[in-house]
Amino acid sequence: MVKPPVHMPAPRPSYGIAAVVGAAVLALYLATLAPTTAMWDASEYITAAYTLGIPHPPGNPFFVLLGRVATLVPIGSVAMRVNALAAVCSAFSAAIWFLVAERVLISWSELRWPRIAAACIAALLGACAFTVWNQSVVNEKVYTVSLAFFAIVSWLTVLWCDDPDGPFADKLIVVIGYLIGLGYTNHPAGLLVGPAVATAVIVRRPRMLMRWRLILATTLALGAGLTPFAFEPIRAAWHPALNEGEPTGCADRIGVGCTFSKTTVTRLMANINRDQYGKPDLSVRQAPFGAQMGMWWLYFKWQWLRDAGESSPRTQSILAMGFLLLGVLGGFTHWRYDGLSFWFFGPLVVTVTVALVYYMNFKYGHSQSPELTDVAREVRDRDYFYLWSFSTWSVWAALGLASLWKMAAERLELPETRRWAVTFPIMFIGLIPLATNWRDASRAGETATREWAHDLLNSVEPYGVLVTLGDNDTFPLWYAQEVEGVRQDVTVAVTSLLGTDWFARGLRRRAQVPYDAKLGPKVYRDGTWPMPTQPVFSLSSAELDAVPDYIDVRTPQVFQHETLRAIVDPRQLEYGVVTRGDLLVLQLLKDNFGKRPVYVARTSGNYVRAMGLEPYAVVQGLAVKIAGAPVVASSNLLPMPGSGHIDAARSRALWGSFGGPAAIIHRGDWVDRASIGIPLLYIATAVSLKEVLTSVAATQEAAQVELTARQLATAARLTEIFNP
Amino acid sequence: MRFPDVAPARRALLLRVIAAAALAIGYADLIRGGTTLAPLLLVAGYAILVPAVILAW
Repeated sequence: MVKPPVHMPAPRPSYGIAAVVGAAVLALYLATLAPTTAMWDASEYITAAYTLGIPHPPGNPFFVLLGRVATLVPIGSVAMRVNALAAVCSAFSAAIWFLVAERVLISWSELRWPRIAAACIAALLGACAFTVWNQSVVNEKVYTVSLAFFAIVSWLTVLWCDDPDGPFADKLIVVIGYLIGLGYTNHPAGLLVGPAVATAVIVRRPRMLMRWRLILATTLALGAGLTPFAFEPIRAAWHPALNEGEPTGCADRIGVGCTFSKTTVTRLMANINRDQYGKPDLSVRQAPFGAQMGMWWLYFKWQWLRDAGESSPRTQSILAMGFLLLGVLGGFTHWRYDGLSFWFFGPLVVTVTVALVYYMNFKYGHSQSPELTDVAREVRDRDYFYLWSFSTWSVWAALGLASLWKMAAERLELPETRRWAVTFPIMFIGLIPLATNWRDASRAGETATREWAHDLLNSVEPYGVLVTLGDNDTFPLWYAQEVEGVRQDVTVAVTSLLGTDWFARGLRRRAQVPYDAKLGPKVYRDGTWPMPTQPVFSLSSAELDAVPDYIDVRTPQVFQHETLRAIVDPRQLEYGVVTRGDLLVLQLLKDNFGKRPVYVARTSGNYVRAMGLEPYAVVQGLAVKIAGAPVVASSNLLPMPGSGHIDAARSRALWGSFGGPAAIIHRGDWVDRASIGIPLLYIATAVSLKEVLTSVAATQEAAQVELTARQLATAARLTEIFNP
Repeated sequence: MRFPDVAPARRALLLRVIAAAALAIGYADLIRGGTTLAPLLLVAGYAILVPAVILAW
């Protein structure tokens, strides 16, 4: 068979079929869409979109604008609308991968239908890779929007490669430059497609680099694409509910002078450059590069069979090896049949895989090499950073499958159409992830995070200050308060962000929202809850800014305020010293003494003890109330070793109102092990409550609570708690 | 022959005016604290109109 020339004229792309493929993928995503928020950053981004706020640095201005538009669509809940944005972006990308694959396969078969079929498999395989699917059914990150940018830039580059001297060629290059800039304002990853575009240009039309007017126009367009960053200081000056980094010099209201000030520029640049995170220089590796590639390989294995329960590791490895080899074969197929676009797509795959692994410079993965006990680890699995890698690799894996299909078809002595049809089942291999990932990738019916947020907020008395420690005991609460309007009277103070200057200023600025007893839990309905009139901090913004990052003392220190006397032991604190966050927690205790109850979330581990507050600790549901005086045991306040005392009546009443346990049991799994502390806390709460109920002879209720605890353990795969 | 030559140029100009207006009004609304019109106009401007302007240039 004669190999067709690489430069043969391309037939019109099958845009109609691409649209149908995109719609099919969207239907799949909508069928498995999260109905509400989820753990980690999902709540933060939904809240940012809804309030038109500023999420964590770099602030993602284009995502926020896009997300806000999504929240305006009058279908479903606010969270569903933002989740659907992720689904739409990924489905759009799948449609583009269809077009790319079809383009690559033009000279692979003279028949159209095998090209269409193989391109459909490419789109579906990419859409069903675990991380792509799982991230497309909840808007946990902004990476699906980035994927859409990658896809559209890919398609425009393919079109440019087809006709680099055509009437639209220069315009395509300028648009590509603009979209790369705009993609950067969604997330810095938007730049990752740049090296691939540059490689394609150098290979296809190197003399283009000498055309300074075109280069200048493209650079200007890229700059124009970056202008959505202007959103940040403008919107930040209005101090929306979510105003991370506070990239404005305006303290109270927007103004020309404070906006065009050095403070604004400094804060905005700190936000864009993500100074808050202080990542080490790339030459300082956080883990050996081999281990970092090992992390990528671990997540690569997840793509074809997630196997969260680790019941089929052998099958998972075989599938991963298979799809790895198919991808290599697909890369070769791409080069062989469409050398023009290969010099774009190949560098893209390398950039979002090897180069990205090097650039991200992660510590060991959360689930990686569990036998290594003395290595620094990421707080969670970061497979989502390689979403683009797995998505593009899937296109190559499908091209590899197509290559096998062609080999098989050519071995048969049958009419052309028939031999392609007879061997088509080979392509069903590309549908494996659709079946194997459905259970773990789907977020349908997943409501546990929303319920958790309600339960934690409701554990706090009206007008309470709740000290939290990290993402999962904070972001869902922001979502519940700002999007659903639940318990906005509670002030959430997260210690990790109290270390920044802007967060404390924001808490001080926050107006006290009245408590609505009708919307609160029954347990608070009979009480009298006077609304505080003072801010949670008595210090001015300047005084808050002046609180040091830490005090370098290593020995126990006494904190005393009225009847509260705590011995703070820095050796038990996370960093071995008293940090700014710890100092501000003590300030909150001081400033709100007798005015607002102060609580610490029970997700905080031994924080209460490390701060010397255990004698004052009263467990109420999922939070610990810091009493004004040492707690004395009574028939209702029972000693709880390691946690102070438990308020039996309050905890019992709260447990009856919790929605989290039923939601976890209904889901029947807890795929993300990094956040397993949440179901674990419910189980611990149930076990404590069962002991309390047993002690007051409420045996039937105790048995019911224990049963729930066991069901929770089964659902979250934590049965070893009851069967050590 | 004159009409087809001129009409695209006018269309391109009109597109530029619409894109500039969408972004200008969007930012103006954002500055006055708007949270509905501003994102609608800015997304339309950045995601659709500006690329269209470049392609129609």
